[in-house]
Amino acid sequence: MPRIPPRYQPTGESSDGGMGSVFICDDKVLERKVAIKFIHNLIHQRRMIDELAALLKMRSKHVVQVYDILSCNFEVLGIVQEFIDGQDLFESHQIPSSPTDLYKQIWQIASGICDIHTLGVIHRDIKPNNMKTDPEGVIKIFDFGLARDDKPQAGTIGFVGTPGFAAPELYTGIVKFTKAVDTYAFGATVLYLATGTLPQELKETPPKPSIHGYFSSITLNLAEEITKLLDCCLATDPKVRPDMCNVRDALAKHLLFNRHKALVVHDGKPSYLNSINRSVGLNRTSIGQIKIIYNGLDFRITECDGEIFINNQEAKVDSILPSACVIAFGSPDRKQDRIYVTFDVSHPEIVL
Amino acid sequence: MSGPYAIGDLIGERYEINCFIGEGGMQFVYKAYDNLVKRMVALKTPKNRSAVKRFNRSAIVAAKVNHPNVAKTLDYIEENGDLYLIEELIYGENLDEALLKRTNFIDPYSAAKVLHHIAKGVAAAHHAGVVHRDLKPTNVMVVGGFSLNELKITDFGIAKMADEELAEAVEGGSDSMTASQTLVGALPYMAPEAIDSPRNVQYPADIWSIGAMMFQLISGELPYGQGLAAVRKIQDAKIPVPPTFLTSNSQFSPLMKEILEIINSCLQRSLDLRPTADELVRKCGDLCYTHTSRESGVVTDIRYRGAWGFIETDYKNVFFHSSSVYGPHKISVGDRVVYASYGGTPYQRAFPVLIEKH
Repeated sequence: MPRIPPRYQPTGESSDGGMGSVFICDDKVLERKVAIKFIHNLIHQRRMIDELAALLKMRSKHVVQVYDILSCNFEVLGIVQEFIDGQDLFESHQIPSSPTDLYKQIWQIASGICDIHTLGVIHRDIKPNNMKTDPEGVIKIFDFGLARDDKPQAGTIGFVGTPGFAAPELYTGIVKFTKAVDTYAFGATVLYLATGTLPQELKETPPKPSIHGYFSSITLNLAEEITKLLDCCLATDPKVRPDMCNVRDALAKHLLFNRHKALVVHDGKPSYLNSINRSVGLNRTSIGQIKIIYNGLDFRITECDGEIFINNQEAKVDSILPSACVIAFGSPDRKQDRIYVTFDVSHPEIVL
Repeated sequence: MSGPYAIGDLIGERYEINCFIGEGGMQFVYKAYDNLVKRMVALKTPKNRSAVKRFNRSAIVAAKVNHPNVAKTLDYIEENGDLYLIEELIYGENLDEALLKRTNFIDPYSAAKVLHHIAKGVAAAHHAGVVHRDLKPTNVMVVGGFSLNELKITDFGIAKMADEELAEAVEGGSDSMTASQTLVGALPYMAPEAIDSPRNVQYPADIWSIGAMMFQLISGELPYGQGLAAVRKIQDAKIPVPPTFLTSNSQFSPLMKEILEIINSCLQRSLDLRPTADELVRKCGDLCYTHTSRESGVVTDIRYRGAWGFIETDYKNVFFHSSSVYGPHKISVGDRVVYASYGGTPYQRAFPVLIEKH
């Protein structure tokens, strides 16, 4: 065991992770339990330090906190992390009984990955074994594959990633990690969580995901929008896979079904749109009229004619109103005589 | 430089003093370079030795809270009998400097965002079993000024420590109360029960402080005034009367009325009547508000008996309508304003427009 500063007292528990050993210790100074992971043979040390610096700054509800690093020389690097007492999602997994149950789990995972990506960091080893449920029932992602692309030879002993969750492009010889690698692994994780297994062709090396997708045929009756997004996560072409923040937002929308609210102020009169009052019609004689309906997910234009502009773009039937927008009555050549209507939406919280 | 350290001093074989940032009632704050992780951090050290034991305790407490709206505690060091708290460095100003030094009050959209984010940070703290006890505008950091890119509550740790001093000052009567700088700063935001029995302060006291702080942000006035005169008014806990301009402009009044209702619920004398932090977060989640980044410029032209006009910035002119100007004062040519802009042709359109202090 490498030298650990006396402030950290080993509890005797330890485990062997893919990249090295993890020691569970008591931090005597800040009175908290930590998991210290040592990584040996640092090749890309500079990049790892940069990524760790980003992770040290991060505060995400769904990612295990990185607290500090230890002795940073060329042989070994210690990463002090939050210790989560709980089972990982591979050990503890039960198949969700409703789409909402699944959405609650995978929205948390998508949020964590999105937070990581927003910092410019790639996790590199997303899988159910690297996620834990804490005592408050919150899912946290841990075990960053920080050192995973140290060995450039894929398909050899140093294979990077976990079969079943590693994206097809990781088997092509030159390992090029992009955010899309995490997106693929997320898709595979969701399929595993939803069904308790992975189809054989995804366990091949390399995996050969079906072009027909998987999520429309599972027992849980997922929303069409979600099915499409999740199928795209498992696309062979990394460019087709969606941004994780979009996946998170789509899941959030479905979890918040009927809970959004919008405030429209027109001529000094407020109207609220919500699950009870689903529609509002606005009109100005001889300029134009517009009708907006809340369908539980989006605020959508169902009727419009005349000179109506949304954030200076011509309004179109069937388009969704952006969350920050101004509705203008009158084309630009009416200048100061254009009439503006503000449209603001609420920001409800997801309660797990 | 000020305080006990000089540029270049090395602490814990790791943190190198870069410059002095400032001092609060209880502590000196420095910017320091972390030689291990190669980045800047905030280094705090107590001003007097009597605070030492509490400083340790406070570090432990603050380190328990993990939330984007709470400044992160990174490390705690004892060296040669001196104590240091290492915190994430926030490149911003506190609410007082960032907002109230520039305008007399803030618009309901900004208020909704500030309230929502403070509520989330406080809820995370309460979930971790931590009471802040000293919430006030100078303990909330803002990145991006009026754009409110990030909001972070700081000094959880110090609050615990300040609490002890506050308790002693309150128990010592009016002389010691006016002598305590910490108390003078905290008093306008203190809950009635925090004045009655300062050693037994619980979660609802933070909720009260949020209400008091928000009242000041939206009205420009402290809800119960300041100094010793505030003590009796706080204990009476009459709901403060907001200035009429808050709800006189129908473009802004629907949102402002909802915010006022939330603030009033926080300023209830009875602890049970105040919302919990979780309830507060839920109420904020129901507020309809949009907050895009803010710009600033000067009013150069007003036309048609004040119905509309233009704001000039370095690189563009922006159109505004008088109903988009928030506040009791008439806008005049030469006024400096903060605003958000939306698409428009040939000019972008400003909404809302807030007049800066002269």
